[in-house]
Amino acid sequence: MAVFMQSFLSGILIGGVYALIGIGLTLIFGVMRIINFGHGDILMVGMYLTYVLFTWLHIDPFVSVLITFPLMFLFGGFLQKVFINRVLHAVAQNQILLTIGLGLVMSNTAMLIFTSDYKILTTSYSSSTLQVGGGVTVSTPLLISFAITAAVTAALYWFLLKTDTGQAIRATAQDREAAQLMGINVKRMSILAFGLGSALAGTAGALISPTYYIFPQVGGGFTLKAFVITVLGGMGSVVGATLGGILIGITESLSAVYISSGWKDVVVFVLFLLVLLFRPSGLMGKSRT
Amino acid sequence: MANPVLKPVAGILVLGALFALPRFVDSPYALHMMILLFMSISQGQSWNILGGYAGQHSVGHAAYFGVGAYTTMMLMHAQQVAPWLGAWAGVGMVAVVALAIGSICFRLRGPYFVLASIAVAEILRLSAINLTGLTNGAEGILATDLPPFKIGATVITDFSTKVPFYHAGLALALATITITYGVQHSKLGYFLQAIREDQDAAHSLGIPISRYKNIALVLSAALTSLAGSFYGVYVGFVDPPTVLGLDVSVQIMLICIIGGMGTLWGPVLGSLVLVPLSEALRSNLITEALVKAGVVNADSRTGLFLKENLSHAHVLLYGVLVVLVILFMPDGLMGFFRKLASRRQREAV
Amino acid sequence: MAILEIHKISKFFGGLAANSDVSFSVEQGAIMGLIGPNGAGKTTLFNCITGYYPPSRGDILFDGQRMNGLEPDKVCMLGMVRTWQKVRPLPKLSVVDNVMVGALARTSSLKTARALAMEQLKVVRLEHRAGFLAGGLPIGERKKLEVARALATQPKLLLLDEVMGGLNPAESEEIIQLILDIKARGLTQMVIEHDMKAIMRISDRIVVLTSGEKLMEGPPQEVVSNPEVISAYLGESHA
Repeated sequence: MAVFMQSFLSGILIGGVYALIGIGLTLIFGVMRIINFGHGDILMVGMYLTYVLFTWLHIDPFVSVLITFPLMFLFGGFLQKVFINRVLHAVAQNQILLTIGLGLVMSNTAMLIFTSDYKILTTSYSSSTLQVGGGVTVSTPLLISFAITAAVTAALYWFLLKTDTGQAIRATAQDREAAQLMGINVKRMSILAFGLGSALAGTAGALISPTYYIFPQVGGGFTLKAFVITVLGGMGSVVGATLGGILIGITESLSAVYISSGWKDVVVFVLFLLVLLFRPSGLMGKSRT
Repeated sequence: MANPVLKPVAGILVLGALFALPRFVDSPYALHMMILLFMSISQGQSWNILGGYAGQHSVGHAAYFGVGAYTTMMLMHAQQVAPWLGAWAGVGMVAVVALAIGSICFRLRGPYFVLASIAVAEILRLSAINLTGLTNGAEGILATDLPPFKIGATVITDFSTKVPFYHAGLALALATITITYGVQHSKLGYFLQAIREDQDAAHSLGIPISRYKNIALVLSAALTSLAGSFYGVYVGFVDPPTVLGLDVSVQIMLICIIGGMGTLWGPVLGSLVLVPLSEALRSNLITEALVKAGVVNADSRTGLFLKENLSHAHVLLYGVLVVLVILFMPDGLMGFFRKLASRRQREAV
Repeated sequence: MAILEIHKISKFFGGLAANSDVSFSVEQGAIMGLIGPNGAGKTTLFNCITGYYPPSRGDILFDGQRMNGLEPDKVCMLGMVRTWQKVRPLPKLSVVDNVMVGALARTSSLKTARALAMEQLKVVRLEHRAGFLAGGLPIGERKKLEVARALATQPKLLLLDEVMGGLNPAESEEIIQLILDIKARGLTQMVIEHDMKAIMRISDRIVVLTSGEKLMEGPPQEVVSNPEVISAYLGESHA
């Protein structure tokens, strides 16, 4: 039972970070109907940014979120304005290919700068754990990152629900044309959404950097995971992505313990295919009939 | 070409020259480049049938490339089955895999199809890593001892040079081009293009959508599998990332995007651009040329940096090319040339 | 003799009825007009008949065969083909290739298909556009292309969904002549149309739908003079 609780708990904690990644992707999809295949690579950029800030300026990875978030926001806005914006009305496969291409550029530029070696960011608390009781322990960095995730998610919900700009973003996601007719600057909303989505992915990168290997190709796996999360939650749904992230965290964590860590990703992908087939609008969405 | 005699004659001359090339060129490096070119054409042409003609943009073709390569290599390594027989077992395996994938993925459209195709390829890659008993896991399979190729009792070749690989690669590339030509000039090709252009309209015109999508998928997958088997045997080694990785899927697709999807010569053009460029980067030809031209000093910091890193840059180049092509010539080189030609026509009028 | 019999067709989306208990039959060789205000369920009915949605209730009999739940391609092969209200050319194929796709439903020979396609292009007077890309045609010609492509599948019943929508009077007149030509060749047609004058001229009988139900059915003269029909239409134009 302790083993179950242990892995369930760490599943929820890592799921929080997954939720952040998923929300970023779903936000971009919601506003622009574009699936960002470079999402994981944006997260990778966030990881290296954190790494650089830590090794050169000795800024703690969790503190560096304050720098990573705005920088990644600008980076995302730049990507949208310069590249993505030009294919908003192109056929879907060209949008997909463009984001794949941008992802390749990001990961291989990282390889040129940092080589393909695995980097580890070791903090004083990287391997420390916390007793929760009943023989259950949790990793301290995971716990901190979950707390930050929760704060960021709460702030994001507040932004989307309570501010004018947030409401404009949601209106654009609901119906782009209607939003435009109502005088919402949808181009600006697109830049904001891509910026926000990238900032969230970058933040997730910063948060996991104390516990993950950092290497140029790390993004691919996260891109796929982000897809799984958003499809589970229903494409475009922020609440769905939040829950989907946590669900994936738990699934992964439990299957690593009860099946094997080598197969945990397979379990996630099989789950993904099942959802695509039987609940294409997501576990939380309405069924399609 | 306006002259109806000139075209076939030119074709036969080019073909003859290609087959005879190893008699005049004995540089293994040149032959290696040609073999890579043939393989790239075969890969691109195979993807083209499903992605270019039927409009189903699979980003999971590594699944078929890898399963073909693995089947052939496993049979050769464990059972001493000659690869030219094992490759057909690979095709059989891949046909089964493709039909299974088709039954899942073809229920989905657009981006969902793309996502599902990636997921399936990833499941296969992870399985290859985890099923160590069958695939030797992450270490991969090394099998370089090829039995001699005989017809009757006559030994045709013992594979001691690159020449037999050259001819096998050429034959494979020609076969894929011929098959694509056949598809394009048949009911199948018309139906696939109709599905690509508008699935609902195609359905109303009497086209059984899922049957034709599955035909395109199995054909495309079987040819990709042959390319995979050829790759495995030529290199003598397969492991999960090199034959089942997402990069492989992207690279296969890229050949068609650069050349022009849904055109007969698109994958050939794409390969002619991609293979030399990425090889030049991989083998440091560019750095050497820069050094030779006196642009950089070989021992300077820049020179060393280029030498060390430019060889990894070929994937970066893929990325840059995709971005440029999508933004500036979304119909690939073929589309670009067509546009030029029609502009010239209009100016002439 | 009726070639198409619709028996109490209903189609529900969620709890909403897009069609409820619609029944009528179409005589061999006739033109049946289908009219009604926007949202009356005309296109839904076409979709049910041609296999895009299975009807929730009721039966569709075509040429004596029950059609419910057949896929659109089977429906086409049995001899019913439709055009689309919002035209759906295959934009990157040439005009003649578009029509060939239709012709290939009945033959595997490209040569035969091409000959048949050229024939249909002549019927709709589009043969001079054969080599053009379908995506580049103006709307009037795209509408004709739809008809030619549908005819190329060699149907027994042609369902036309607002082929005159968005056309200028001269173009509409051409389409009216085309429909009458097709009738003269003995082909049965069912036509959804908004233009009352046009539908009065071409139809042998008319079915009026409002809010998913059949309001009435009869020859054109009877339909125009029916007070309920007039109020349904006036109601729409005053709304």
